Amino acid sequence: MSHGRSKNFWDRREFLFKSGGGISGLALASLLGADNLLAAGPAGSDACAAAATGANPYAPKAPHFKPRATNVISLFMGGGWSQMDTFDPKPALSKYAGQPIDGKVRGDVIVRQGFPGPLMPSPFSFKKYGQSGIEVSEIFPHLSQHVDEIAFLRSVYGRSNDHVQGTYEMQTGQINLGFPSVGSWVTYGLGSQASSLPAFVVMTDNRGGPLGGPNDWSAGFMPAAYQGTLFRSTGDPIVDLKPPAGLTSEDQRARLDALAKLNQLDMEKFPGNSELAARISSYELAYRMQGCAPSAIDTTNESDATKKLYGIDNKVTEQYGRQCLMARRLVEHGVRFVQVFAGGVGNQNTDTWDAHGDLKGNHTQHAAEVDLPTVGLLLDLKARGLLDSTLVIMHSEFGRMPISQRGVGRDHNPGAQTVLMFGAGIKGGQVIGASDEFGYKAMEQPISYHDLHATMLHLLGLDHTKLTYRFNGRDMRLTDVYGTLIPQIVNS
Amino acid sequence: MRRVIRSAVFALSAGTTVALLALVSAQAQAPSTVPPSVTFAKDIQPMLEKSCLSCHSADLKLAELDLSTREAAMQGGTHGAVLVPGSADRSKLYRMAAGLDQPKMPMQGDALTSAQLAALKAWIDQGAVWETSVSFAKDIQPILASSCLNCHGESLQLSKFDLRTRESALLGGQHGSDIVPGNAEQSRMYKRVAGLEKPAMPQQGTPLTPAQAAAVKQWINDGAKWDAPPASSSATPAAPSTAASAAIAGLMERPITQEERNYWTFKLPVQTPPPAVANRNLVNPIDRFLEKTRADHGLKAAPRADKNTLVRRAYLDLLGLPPTPAQVQEFVSDQSPDAWENLVDRLLASPHYGERYGRHWLDVARYADSGGFEYDIHRPNAWRYRDYVIKSFNQDKAFTQFLTEQLAGDEMDYRTQDSLVATGFLRMGPRVLFREKDNPERRYDYLDEMLGTIGKGMLGLTVNCARCHNHKFDPIMAKDYYAMEAALFGFVETEYPLAPPDQAEAYLAKNEEINDKVESIRLQIDTLEKPYRDKLNLAEVQKKYPEHIYAAAAKPEAERTPGEQLLAVQVLTGVRASVVEVEALMTPAELARKKELRAEQTALLKQRPKPLPMAEIVTDGDYRFQPLALGDNTISCPKCRIPPPEGGSFIHKGSEPYKVPKSYFLIRGDVESKGPEMKPGFIGVITNGNPPTEIPRPDGRTSGRRLALAKWIASPQNPMTARVWVNRLWQKHFGRGIVSTLENFGKMGALPTHPELLDWLAVEFMNRGWSTKQLNKLMMMSEAYQMASVFEDADSIKNDLENRYLWKFRPQRLDAEIVRDSMLAVGGNINLAIGGEPIFPYIPSDILLGQYRGKWENTLEGPAAWRRGVYVYQRRSLPYPMFDTFDHPDLNAMVGARNVSTVPTQALTLLNNPFVLSQANWLAERVKREASDPYTQVELAYRIALARPATETEISIGLDLVKNRSLESFTHVVLNLDEFLYMR
Repeated sequence: MSHGRSKNFWDRREFLFKSGGGISGLALASLLGADNLLAAGPAGSDACAAAATGANPYAPKAPHFKPRATNVISLFMGGGWSQMDTFDPKPALSKYAGQPIDGKVRGDVIVRQGFPGPLMPSPFSFKKYGQSGIEVSEIFPHLSQHVDEIAFLRSVYGRSNDHVQGTYEMQTGQINLGFPSVGSWVTYGLGSQASSLPAFVVMTDNRGGPLGGPNDWSAGFMPAAYQGTLFRSTGDPIVDLKPPAGLTSEDQRARLDALAKLNQLDMEKFPGNSELAARISSYELAYRMQGCAPSAIDTTNESDATKKLYGIDNKVTEQYGRQCLMARRLVEHGVRFVQVFAGGVGNQNTDTWDAHGDLKGNHTQHAAEVDLPTVGLLLDLKARGLLDSTLVIMHSEFGRMPISQRGVGRDHNPGAQTVLMFGAGIKGGQVIGASDEFGYKAMEQPISYHDLHATMLHLLGLDHTKLTYRFNGRDMRLTDVYGTLIPQIVNS
Repeated sequence: MRRVIRSAVFALSAGTTVALLALVSAQAQAPSTVPPSVTFAKDIQPMLEKSCLSCHSADLKLAELDLSTREAAMQGGTHGAVLVPGSADRSKLYRMAAGLDQPKMPMQGDALTSAQLAALKAWIDQGAVWETSVSFAKDIQPILASSCLNCHGESLQLSKFDLRTRESALLGGQHGSDIVPGNAEQSRMYKRVAGLEKPAMPQQGTPLTPAQAAAVKQWINDGAKWDAPPASSSATPAAPSTAASAAIAGLMERPITQEERNYWTFKLPVQTPPPAVANRNLVNPIDRFLEKTRADHGLKAAPRADKNTLVRRAYLDLLGLPPTPAQVQEFVSDQSPDAWENLVDRLLASPHYGERYGRHWLDVARYADSGGFEYDIHRPNAWRYRDYVIKSFNQDKAFTQFLTEQLAGDEMDYRTQDSLVATGFLRMGPRVLFREKDNPERRYDYLDEMLGTIGKGMLGLTVNCARCHNHKFDPIMAKDYYAMEAALFGFVETEYPLAPPDQAEAYLAKNEEINDKVESIRLQIDTLEKPYRDKLNLAEVQKKYPEHIYAAAAKPEAERTPGEQLLAVQVLTGVRASVVEVEALMTPAELARKKELRAEQTALLKQRPKPLPMAEIVTDGDYRFQPLALGDNTISCPKCRIPPPEGGSFIHKGSEPYKVPKSYFLIRGDVESKGPEMKPGFIGVITNGNPPTEIPRPDGRTSGRRLALAKWIASPQNPMTARVWVNRLWQKHFGRGIVSTLENFGKMGALPTHPELLDWLAVEFMNRGWSTKQLNKLMMMSEAYQMASVFEDADSIKNDLENRYLWKFRPQRLDAEIVRDSMLAVGGNINLAIGGEPIFPYIPSDILLGQYRGKWENTLEGPAAWRRGVYVYQRRSLPYPMFDTFDHPDLNAMVGARNVSTVPTQALTLLNNPFVLSQANWLAERVKREASDPYTQVELAYRIALARPATETEISIGLDLVKNRSLESFTHVVLNLDEFLYMR
């Protein structure tokens, strides 16, 4: 470790000297500051985790008040997971199985596709677990053992039964396009703890990215610096991170040296050009990213026990397990917000939770993929003392309908979903809110996505009414003019 | 009532034994801990309600005991006193609950827990204080009736918040949860009535008294109990409907103060004479205004930039292309006094000018080639609008005409194919285009998006802030918003052939006729096949589904239960037997008939006219007749579908003049809360005189409302339009607007740095026939434009570090497209073809594969891909990554000035992106072709890329690299230079 570190360190100094040597501007001073921090850092810390500094857009900013957590891992179950088949048992579905839902619930019943079916019981059985006795479906044999560490929000509701609009709402608070995602807001509000990695990293499923594409992690009307950076699961994690084949690192080194010299001449001619200083600094960052990004997600040195914990030894759990393990590594390296998308768009019905057809098969498969690794993440964060400072939220774009679709499936339902939260000192073993008898709509303490966002920001030390960005003459907020803190989360 | 009592008595006697059996164990449970503070409302009242009042209420009074009030409880029951304040041990109430006296209470239901017993004991020991807890019926109901229910009751549910029942109240409104039982501090309702959160409630009428607010707080903290029947607002003297209209009127009417009217932006611009300045060489009025401001702020203007800098600046600014060495030479060697003017004229006449300045307008128009959202529908003809914009700029079309065509090109007296294409402006925003008919509220979002774009893009006002309420900072009223919405409300989106009118109409009619016939034949074939298909489908259901589902599907419809009917329909519609299977079962006669029908169909399709090029236009019509589109075939929400009125049509036909479907004032922007019907109109504060709000059209096919809107905007009587556009032009030339918030001239926008100059330019623009090119030239002919950017002056830095008052030229980072164009240009590869279908430069396959839908026809490097950036397909679900990295604006919202960020991903792109590297290699090839020795090669690379000769030091650094590595290494470095990425 220390060997690798010192090499990296000296390469970096040399690069610094060449790129910034001779300039005494802000950039160089702050970069040297980073070096000092690095030199004073605890043994074993690596260059990648050095704190970000003033001259870059990820420089850390003070929160509004003392935060409960400093990092977020968001586990997005793409496609829409079903509440009544996972964490919100509904005996009434068995009682009234085969009957129409009309007249049994408030308001209109709106399906998204096809024709509405009758009420359909869950194909899965539920049991009580833990001290709290919270009921969990049989498809989560691992997660159910940890209910006392998890808060279950059963009354979360959204505004759209369209995948993309639902995803946008979960990610940005708005069902329309053009708004910054929650990760962008957090990055904008707090900056990064790491100078050599982006503050907001996105990992998608091998089977394809989520519906909605890059807009799901877009910075919307904010500068591009705050958008999520997509980390790929194979090859170089970031697009254009490394020179293409045929260009040697010596060659790149020589190019960078010449660039540094020419930039220096430019700086002498044009000393008042602060943008030039920032550009020189951005090359420095880019250079460090080349080293740090691959090492941050390189799991080869993780122990077999750790890999087993995340289910990387098993084909079913490997892909998501790897995402979770990478998420933990990124958090360790100071990445502020890690967005994991589980479920890709290769084949909407089988590769995501979008169980229009065979709900039983679909949810059995997807629960099996995420059950063990999510617990692995929980345990690993705890073992490393990171759980209290990391908020983990596990959610989807919406829940599903209590009535059948295509006989044995369920359609989209934004009326209610169960969201899981743990870490960040959140009291586990609690159920917050309730959906109606059939799980069709949030009934008690309805929690909007704005409420979730307000609460997430609060845990990070940000007041959602004060975190604003001026756009088109208005001080925009993640929560628009809405958002109520969830008392059981913020007070627990 | 009698019956109730009897059953209660029965329950009582049945429970007695149980209670007795429980006695022994209960005795062992001595109260262990005393809670620190016991309150009646929190601890005791719920206990009484749960365990005591079911028998000892005022109604039932079993054993003559009533525990519902303190007075009643103190009177005791048939066995005497039950409550001795100060001594629980002497109080029957406690003793029986704890099992110390018999019978143990409660007789039915769970015994009290030890914590409850402890609380009860503590409460009595502490004096049995029966805090008069807030009563819903007595304290809260009257507040609701007098202050809340007018707007959150029967007649109106503003913000979708309905206070009529506990159930509806706890559901909250469109802002989410409004009441969190047990937590008033987190309850919006309390925060609003207590004035702790804005807007304070009630919005009309008198605020709650502190005592009332306290009661609401207490009530919510106590659990927001609702022990009274549903309330209505009848407690108020006014009838609900009157009260509701008064509430609506209160929302709509707000006077504009004189002070608001006098805000600079709402007054018509007036040209004041350019000030006299000391430097008599400054003849351009722009310079005289600027110089005056510089003098006021103690600033010294930079000298003129050298000719190499100027020529590169002019090319990049007006064309977005770096000048070739020959073009540089042409200008540098031109010693005539008109050299600069000639250069500017030459560039303004270039067809590439439209590509550059047109692109600025495309930012305003949030132009894209796809619709966004899940389906990201390809818009095959969107590019025609892009070409229209480019052409309009090249033609230097009067800006008034340009605007009018985009808002009402279909309504103009001289309607042309171009003016039809121009209406594409209105439909350029994002559209879901899936299941639109079941989501009619989306139409209002689309209208809002249009109004927002028109407001910010053309008027510099955030009109759409007035959708839910009057604008918070500017005197723009919600009723102005809905008047403008009414002006647009007739809009429908359709495709129209680009052909002379007669031909176009005939084409549409012919296709419609063929479509109808083909559809009728399809139905006939379906009918023939149906019996066989149904049979096969049922067999398929049997194969695919569990027995009970098949059983439901197999039953005749009349015998199915309602649930089975639902099940049957959904599985039977979900399977479809193949044509081969169906035909195998058909009789020979049926097969022959089908063959005939097929032949007819084929013959019909052959009659289809040759496809004409189509434009994606907006015109007036009736949206309720919108033809079915993607996802509309299934009706997922029958109630959401708006029934079309009798005798109408999508595009207006017939002899009667077209009528716009009614639109309404929407209370709080809620589609379901309709206020009065709206007439078209404009923003009051910027309307001068009495412009028409409808200009009836001779052909009667459209309403003329959009035309009237366009005339109101594109008018010298509108104080905003000219100012907003000249300010945008100023920002393009000088890097920062005179009003830096290009899209917002209101109170929350920036103040102009040079107000008199802005007005002078706006009037000048109008006087010169709204000619954009003349304004371009006027600005570029100023000395200010020709100043050096490399200039240091200690006093000026001290007095104006940000260079707000333009004492030197402000360097500008090249726009995303221009970064790419410049690389292509210096690599010698740029394909300068103008207009046409979009291009798809290479995107790595793993990025494309991560995408579900949307169009991208990856083009390999080569001339087809080497066209200018303005032609790159603008895909909403996947912005071209290199553009995204260099701050191409979000495709989904109108932007003011583009962001300029400097981020490491830009460095990574410039260092490692294969396109950049290949263009560096092409540049090296080009240099090698034209120069043989390394020295001249390095020198030439500088001339090509930076339009200037290199210094000796630069050449020696370059030579080192060429010698040690390669010329390609050096040309790659050149493309990474800050100077290359900037217009300086």
